[in-house]
Amino acid sequence: MGEEEEKGSSENGVESKEEEQDEQENNVLRFLDSLDSYLVLMDSLSPTLRQGWMELASARHSMGASRINSALFDLKHHNAATSLEVNHHDDTTMQQTCFTLCKWASPDTQNLCSKEATLEEGELLQRKASSPQIRHRGASRSSEEVQEKRPQPYGPPVTVDDQVQKERSKSLSVFGALVSPKLRGAQLSFETALETLVEIANIRSTILCARDQVQEEMKTTM
Amino acid sequence: MANRVQIPGRNSALIAMIADEDTITGFLLAGVGNVDLRRKTNYLIVDSKTTVKQIEDTFKEFTAREDIAIVLISQYVANMIRLLVDSYNKPVPAILEIPSKDHPYDPTHDSVLSRVKYLFSAESVASERR
Repeated sequence: MGEEEEKGSSENGVESKEEEQDEQENNVLRFLDSLDSYLVLMDSLSPTLRQGWMELASARHSMGASRINSALFDLKHHNAATSLEVNHHDDTTMQQTCFTLCKWASPDTQNLCSKEATLEEGELLQRKASSPQIRHRGASRSSEEVQEKRPQPYGPPVTVDDQVQKERSKSLSVFGALVSPKLRGAQLSFETALETLVEIANIRSTILCARDQVQEEMKTTM
Repeated sequence: MANRVQIPGRNSALIAMIADEDTITGFLLAGVGNVDLRRKTNYLIVDSKTTVKQIEDTFKEFTAREDIAIVLISQYVANMIRLLVDSYNKPVPAILEIPSKDHPYDPTHDSVLSRVKYLFSAESVASERR
């Protein structure tokens, strides 16, 4: 009986050692993967930024240097239309930070777009279909017509896309009412660059978390 | 490009920038510009007249602010304050070094990569074992 107990405990010991080794290997793999992703993303960022700078230079060439320069920047109080949401979550023994980009959703316009942005399309249609005015107009309307004619308590109906376009135009209007299409192109390029940068920030968080885990394991095995 | 709007929640934060004029202009077009009631901006335009002290002070200010989650800094500007950037080790705000028009990205100077490259060095592994 004693021999069987010894055999059982040694088997358990071997299993737990194997599990530990698997976990260590997973941590190293995670570290190397995140490092690779970081380098790939940084590589993809450069051409996006380069395109943005080229478009900005073209816009400056067509509109004039005096129309696109830092002297025109809005220095009156205003909130950023594009911001970040930061969440912390516990990953095994380490805390990891997660960044989420919130594009064109400034707190100034939060109340207007919050109801539209958080509803699924189906729910939105259901809501509109149940309102008395739309029911009286008949059931054969398309969803777009229904959406346009929905009565709004605060004025004409506004969709999420309209709000995004409005914020984009507001950003461009710093450089005048009529801007070169190249400037719009530059805006889109830098928006894409922002998305890549947020991904890079998340990968950075993973790298640092994985590095700490690998370092911890190296200390315990030495 | 997705036009879906994500509503900033209670833990929303800003992106700060320390870079040349064109890079700042581009990111301001993308909507990251913020000016508070005291007329403080979340960006610093670095040009030939900007001193190293100004850059250092701005970096320290941005990394101390609780409403900033990411600091974008052109790598050539980060090289001017390399000691300060490399000694920064908090998870938030995240410091991201970006290329500029005249200075392409150099991974050998990146502060994130320099913090992990010692793990690939045979000397460091050998010294740990001693």
